[in-house]
Amino acid sequence: MSLILSDLTKRFGDFTAVDTINIEVPAGSMYGFLGGNGAGKTTTFRMLLGLLAPTAGEITYKGEKIGYEMTDSIGYLPEERGLHPKLRVDEQIQYLARLKGMKKHEIDEKLEFWLEEFEVPENKHKKIEKLSKGNQQKIQLIASIIHEPELIILDEPFSGLDPVNVEILKKAVKNLNHNGATILFSTHRMDHVEELCEELCILNKGTQVVSGNIDDIKADFGQKELIIEGRHDISFLKDFPGVIEMKTNRNKNVIRISEERYAEDIYNEIIKLGYFKRFQVNEPSLNDIFIAKVGRQYE
Amino acid sequence: MNKFMTTFRHTYLSKVKAKSFIITTIIVMLLIILAGNFDKIMNLFDGSEEVGTIEVEASETFTAQFQAVMSEISDDIDVVDSGGDITLTVEETVPLSATVESDNEVNTAQQTEIEMALDAVNRQMVIESLDLSEEEANLMAAGITIDYDTGAAVTDADTGEIIEIEEPNYLNVVIFYITVFVMFFIVINYASQIGTEIAMEKSSRVIEMIVSSVSPVNHLFAKILAIICVSLTQLFFFVVTIIAVLYLVDIGSLISEFGLEANDRTVPMVVYSLIFLLLGLVLYLSVSALLGSFVSRMEDLQQALLPVTMMSLGGMYLGMFNLFDPGNLLVRITSYFPFFTPFVMPLRVLDPATSHLTVWTGILVILITIAVAVYFAARIYKGSILSTDQGIIKNIKKFNKGE
Repeated sequence: MSLILSDLTKRFGDFTAVDTINIEVPAGSMYGFLGGNGAGKTTTFRMLLGLLAPTAGEITYKGEKIGYEMTDSIGYLPEERGLHPKLRVDEQIQYLARLKGMKKHEIDEKLEFWLEEFEVPENKHKKIEKLSKGNQQKIQLIASIIHEPELIILDEPFSGLDPVNVEILKKAVKNLNHNGATILFSTHRMDHVEELCEELCILNKGTQVVSGNIDDIKADFGQKELIIEGRHDISFLKDFPGVIEMKTNRNKNVIRISEERYAEDIYNEIIKLGYFKRFQVNEPSLNDIFIAKVGRQYE
Repeated sequence: MNKFMTTFRHTYLSKVKAKSFIITTIIVMLLIILAGNFDKIMNLFDGSEEVGTIEVEASETFTAQFQAVMSEISDDIDVVDSGGDITLTVEETVPLSATVESDNEVNTAQQTEIEMALDAVNRQMVIESLDLSEEEANLMAAGITIDYDTGAAVTDADTGEIIEIEEPNYLNVVIFYITVFVMFFIVINYASQIGTEIAMEKSSRVIEMIVSSVSPVNHLFAKILAIICVSLTQLFFFVVTIIAVLYLVDIGSLISEFGLEANDRTVPMVVYSLIFLLLGLVLYLSVSALLGSFVSRMEDLQQALLPVTMMSLGGMYLGMFNLFDPGNLLVRITSYFPFFTPFVMPLRVLDPATSHLTVWTGILVILITIAVAVYFAARIYKGSILSTDQGIIKNIKKFNKGE
């Protein structure tokens, strides 16, 4: 295990922002923090980096507490974006990368590489304040990964970007992970987590709803989604064993079942009626899991 | 330490390379050079000409009398019979009246000399017309004597004699003036710069990236030190210019014209002035950093820095207004108030009655205040960097609790 959060709690006065979170982030994994506004994602990240002191609990990275002696191997993109507006891009990156212990020529090389990667090489000598918000965000992401950190913490890296740029950034993040970096990122978009992560943690108002390997979570969750399309009336399935919920929209039926084994019984039952265009067992979506655990729709 | 140097270098270089820094430095250097050539510049604008000879149109007795007096008063002006630079026509009434005719303006110094000569002759004529004896005439000219024998007079403790209050040494006064002005100028200029630096990083949110690499206290100290070094760099240029002017321009005449001569307090005055200048800068810049870390928005910065402005203004005026009375009670009290000490204590050094112990106490007071200011700046800065709360008082309360 590389990063371990145990019983992590943060209170601001009477308000509990993060409530006893327990997470293990495996080395080299891509870990998603999923939660709406005020779920406690940013507070957790700030505690991870030592910017906020936890009220209770402990954080260890490779068995040690995170301190300023290991910040050179950590990259952080804060949720609240901001750079020195009056500096040029290269000046800004030089400063922030030197703070991570890099040398001048090294920084120059890497900066060229990343500007090409993000398709904005023309911005190298422009002042930050002259750049668009999306381009500033790219520069800031470069600043947080240019020193090739082992652990990368990205707070809402994709928010505020157009779909084309989201794809460029996703590609970069995947590459970083592929090259061995452990990446922790937060988002409020379930599709990003499902697409990118092996591991995740869903937070809701400071509490941990569910966490771990996505496939395991889905398997443990048990519930499956069954899609049956055909002309026959199958409304009798509503009262069938294992069926939790059934929605019918013209010829298409979406059935939630409590365990996969009921799908077989249902299959055997309906083929007696004749031909069906579609019979499909789907893994539960994160949305289903969220609703089931929290009892309300995800924002 | 490496990260400290990175922030220090970054802040120092970006400030020193800034246009505003270069321009203000050059302007002040030019002003110093202008001040060094003050007499030459004044001569440039002085249209009046030196009068060498004076032609008097009056009776022979008057002319002879005037010539005698004039030669006593002035070495430059000779009385001639004809063809003088200026013509003096005198009506020998009592008191006499005279007209001066000249092509060019007569300069003030020579005007005074001519007036003095005429006055002397006039007095002689009055005495003659009233038929006074020499004794009576002397009595009229004699000055009065007054002794102020008040309780507050400075007396020597042993002998009870009244000690004469010495005229201040004008060179030392000039040193004091320069110290206080330079300190005020730098404090006002750099207090807002350091406040802006800190508030800008907070309001632009870049601070969160920075403190994920370097500890907030490390970062803050690097910034404070960098700005202090920027101000010292500027000071260095000023001092170099002053020294260059002293050596390159012959200002000996200028100095003697103003009666500036060194005495035994000049050396301690220079040394202490420099010490207080440095300490004053460190104190005010540390406090500005402290105040800058209270605010989350640039708009609140000026308001937060108001105490610095008021204190430095107050200190400067206290020094200026008590320039010729450095021993009074107000000066003695305020010289121990840390924010006034850098301005007022050099003034007390002017006073021969001030002991070295007093001055060192002042230095100690400032050092302690700097330590306290730096401690709180670090403590509050650490707590305030991620806060977006508005309202200065609210922030102070909150951060001091260490939340």
